[in-house]
This record gives sequence, C-alpha cells and structure tokens, in this order.
Amino acid sequence: MKAKRYLALTRAGVIEALQFRASFIVMVIGNLLYLIVVYFLWKAIYASAGSDVVSGMTFSDTLVYLVLATALFNFMEMYAVWQMGRDIQSGKIVLDLLKPMEYRRYLFWSFTGTFIMQFLFTFLPTFIVVAAVTHGAIPLGINILYFMISVVLAVSINYSIDFFVGTICLYTESIWGINIMKQVIVLLLSGATIPIAFFPEPLKSIVYYLPFQSIYNAPLSLLLDGSPSAEKVLTTLGMQLFWCVAMLIISKAFWKASLRQITVNGG
Amino acid sequence: MAGIIEIKNVTKEFRVLNRREGLKGSLKDLFSRNYKTVRAVDNVSMSIQQGEIVGYLGPNGAGKSTTIKMMTGVLEPTSGEILVNGCVPYKNRTKNAENIGVVFGQRSQLWWALPLIESFRLLKDIYQISDSGYDEMMKLYGSLVDIEPLLHKPVRQMSLGQRTLSDILAAFLHDPKIVFLDEPTIGLDVSMKAKIRTLIHALNKEKKTTVILTTHDMGDVDALCRRIVIIDHGKMLYDNDIEHLKSFFGSYRTLKVRVDGDLAAQTQQIQGQYPDFSVTCDEQEEWISVLVDEDRQKVLDVLSQLQKTHRIKDMQLEEISTEEVIKKIYEEGVR
Repeated sequence: MKAKRYLALTRAGVIEALQFRASFIVMVIGNLLYLIVVYFLWKAIYASAGSDVVSGMTFSDTLVYLVLATALFNFMEMYAVWQMGRDIQSGKIVLDLLKPMEYRRYLFWSFTGTFIMQFLFTFLPTFIVVAAVTHGAIPLGINILYFMISVVLAVSINYSIDFFVGTICLYTESIWGINIMKQVIVLLLSGATIPIAFFPEPLKSIVYYLPFQSIYNAPLSLLLDGSPSAEKVLTTLGMQLFWCVAMLIISKAFWKASLRQITVNGG
Repeated sequence: MAGIIEIKNVTKEFRVLNRREGLKGSLKDLFSRNYKTVRAVDNVSMSIQQGEIVGYLGPNGAGKSTTIKMMTGVLEPTSGEILVNGCVPYKNRTKNAENIGVVFGQRSQLWWALPLIESFRLLKDIYQISDSGYDEMMKLYGSLVDIEPLLHKPVRQMSLGQRTLSDILAAFLHDPKIVFLDEPTIGLDVSMKAKIRTLIHALNKEKKTTVILTTHDMGDVDALCRRIVIIDHGKMLYDNDIEHLKSFFGSYRTLKVRVDGDLAAQTQQIQGQYPDFSVTCDEQEEWISVLVDEDRQKVLDVLSQLQKTHRIKDMQLEEISTEEVIKKIYEEGVR
C-alpha cells in the first residue's frame, strides 16, 4: 500500500523529534522571550497612538493575533529550504533522489512528524493558554473547523514556497542569503510579524492578492472571527485553494525543469 | 545474452565556467559566459551480467562516479545509450530506484538520529518490502554479521565501520537486482575491511545481486572481483577478467640474483647471455635483476643456466601484484 510509506516517514519524524527533547524546551523559552518583546513593543505603540483602537484592532486583539501567529509559525515552519540546501551542497540529495518516491513528496512527508510534534507541543498549549487567559478572545464554534481547513491549505502553500526557494539552491549552491530573504518576505507579507490591518492602503490591497497572506493571515482571520459571513469564508478559503494549486504546479514544474538541467549539466 | 546493465558508447560532457584567478578575475566571472566543455566519460561501452561483481577502477577524477550516476539515473548521458534492467535510468529514475541499492562511501542514507532498526523499518515501507521478504533478509543478515548490537544503536553513535556495514545492509535490504558500492571500504581498518568484503561476497552469492564496486583498494578487488573495468580520463582502458590482466603483465617475473665477482661485469655478461631480457643491476643492494618473460623462457630454466655459469649467493623471485599492474596501466595504458 502506497499510503503506508508516507505514514512510515511521519512515524520516523515523530521518533526523531522525540530524540531531541532539549530542543523543545529551548524553543518554548525562545518563544516566550519573543512574545515578551512583542508585548512591550505593541504596548508602546498603543500608548503613543493615544487611542484604544488602532487600524480597527484593540491592543488585546493585536496581541492575541500575534501570539497565535507565532505559534502557527513554529508549527508550520519546516526549514525545508535549509534541508534542501544542505543536501544539495553535501551531495546527499543524490541518495534521496534514488529513493523510489517522488522527491517533493518524500521531503514533505519526512517533515510531517515534526509538524505533529510541534502542533501538540507548541501550537496547542499556546492556543489553550490564550483561550483561557483572554476569556473568549478566541470564539469556539464553527470557526475552528474553517481554521483547520485553512491551516491545511496554508501548510501546503508554505511548503510549495519553501520547495520553490529550495530549488533555487540547485543553481546557486548557497542557501543562507536566499533563505533569509525568503523568510523576511514571507513573515512580513503574510502578516506574521505585523497584522495586515496595519499596512498602509495600497500595500494592503497588493498583499491581499499575493500568496503569502494565505499562510498566516487567512487562517488567523478565520479563527478570530466568531461568526464569519459565508462570503468571507468562501473568498478566504477560495483564495487559499487557488494559491495552493497554483504554487503546487509552479513549484513542481520549476523543480522538474531544474532537475533536468542538473541531470544534463551535472551537479 | 543481454546483460542487466548495457552501456553503449556513452559520453558525458559537463559545461564548466572558466574561472579566472584573483579578485579581479572573480569579479569578471560574475558576468562571464565563458564556458568550457569537459568530457568526463568518453565513449564507454560495457555489458554486465546478472550476478557479476565488477570492480570499477580508475584514479581519482577518472569518471567513475559520473558513470555510476548515469547508471542510477541521476545524470543523463550526453550521448549513447544506457539500459539498466531493460529501462533507461534517467527517464525512469523512480522506477529504476526500486531495483537498485546504493552506498556512496562517505555519505549515509540512514536516519542519523534513529536506531538502525528504525531505518530498516522505514526502508521496508519505502521500498514496500513484504513482511516475509524482510524477515528472510534479517535472518540472512543475522547469519552473516553480528547484527543484534547494531540494530538498537542510533546511527550517529556508530563508528565509521559500523555505519558502513549498516549502510551496505540497508542497500541490500529490498533485495535489489543491482547494488552500486562507491568506495565502501574507504577509511576502514583491516579487520573491518575483511568483514565487509566477506559480507558483500556472501550477499552476492546468496542473492545473485549484481555488484558494481568502485575502490582504490586492491585488496577489495582481489577479494571480490573476477572482472574489472579500468577507466581513466573518461576513457575505458581495460575490461576483462582479473586473471587475464595479471597474465597480461604477470607473464613477466623479475629474477634477482646476487653473484660473486664484479657487479657491472657480471651484469654485462648476463645481458650477453640473455639479449632479449632486460638486465639491470642495483649497485647498493648488489642485486642483478633479470626481467624474464615466462612465455619465452621459464624463470627456473634461466636460474639453472645461471647457476652453471655463476656462483649464486642469493636469489629472489618477484611477481607483479595487481596493484602494480593497475599502477602500470594508469601510468602507461594497456600496451
């Protein structure tokens, strides 16, 4: 059975993640520090703005949004670009290419174990704490379901972007700069560091049509809206679905063309 | 009979940027389109039968790895034709992968952080090995090597020898038709090398697996390969039995004698007796060496004749080793 091999990779990923317990603790501490910085930064912003509501969001709205965005980031960021870059540089990629599986899928499923672990150990606790502390800032209803669908699409889009950027490593054979650039672009334009509501007008509309906001902004806006209109749900998920398919096709095609290039010219 | 691997007139060329030297040159290179073509593999043909162990030899940079990468389907030949298992590897890389196993010397395909058994279980699912096939293979492994202590050890804690052994076991796990071993014994101690040779030999015999072995260690070749292929500068220099190669050069033996009297005079005298053979003398060691072509005259005949004319104090007979033969071929090519 074909599905079994993917689950086997997931399983190995979970076991592998469990081997490095210390890294979880370090990550949780790192997140706390980041969130403390975020808290004081936005407190200062709201204090200097002089009003309780900035760009249609209250202080606690913003904070809840950013805390969840950080948790989501920890869960979705899979460092596929690093992995690909390292494997390309070291030549280990040859061994992965010689597995009887499509490389793109092989890599994705190798990451799913980490996904599950991150979801259970960082996203879920954060979610519960935020829900408990804020007493109802996160509505619990049908929006949870929309959120879950949205996250699945977001994961796929995020992976496609990572895979696309990773493919560039086949040409450049260096990772660092490209990866940093990708990270900054994605984190900024997806609304993971600053809620998109705060963006100035022309930029806001442009960002809305780019694939990045589908990664963080879309699932979070569905989650934080207790009674979203059917129209909002459909356009948000529709947009995500569009980018999911588009990025899948683009990243796949780019990889295929690049790999051909490599097999012809050597690597 | 068509072999499991058929290579016909395969050539592989790479385009590499002509790099200039120095800071100025490096800056210019940023915009340079000045490529040169390097021919890594030049018109190579061979046919390998199921169950053979072929030693694929050549100095560093001869084009061995490039040939192997083409056979596995990671590289596409510039021209020529490769058939592995009846299909074209680079067009059916994923399908081809089911029938081959690879060990690339310094790199490991095992999961670094996991105990070996987990890597094996993963490979079992990835290659869709049946339960019975897997059990049978593990039983075979158990009978060949002391596998039990390895199975529960994380790969990152293994010594290089243990890891190489594990990697070889992993490559054979799905009972592939062909296994490519790229310098498997590199950096290992003598006893580990012997262990690995025994293992490869046993697996080849048991499973009729075709093995393509590249190595710089003549011990590997002597222990495992009946047939060797030698390549240098991308060109094939030799493809035949190892015995043939030895006899090729091996018909020459060096007879060394130490005799009474003046060295130079005696050397000249012996040279006069055997005008066809090259006779040299080593002044420091006081040896006179006669390179005897055994096809023309037996060494012992020469020795007994010499005994009649000279008083021989000491003698030595030297055979050309595989290593020397290969060295000779790298240096001079096949004459």
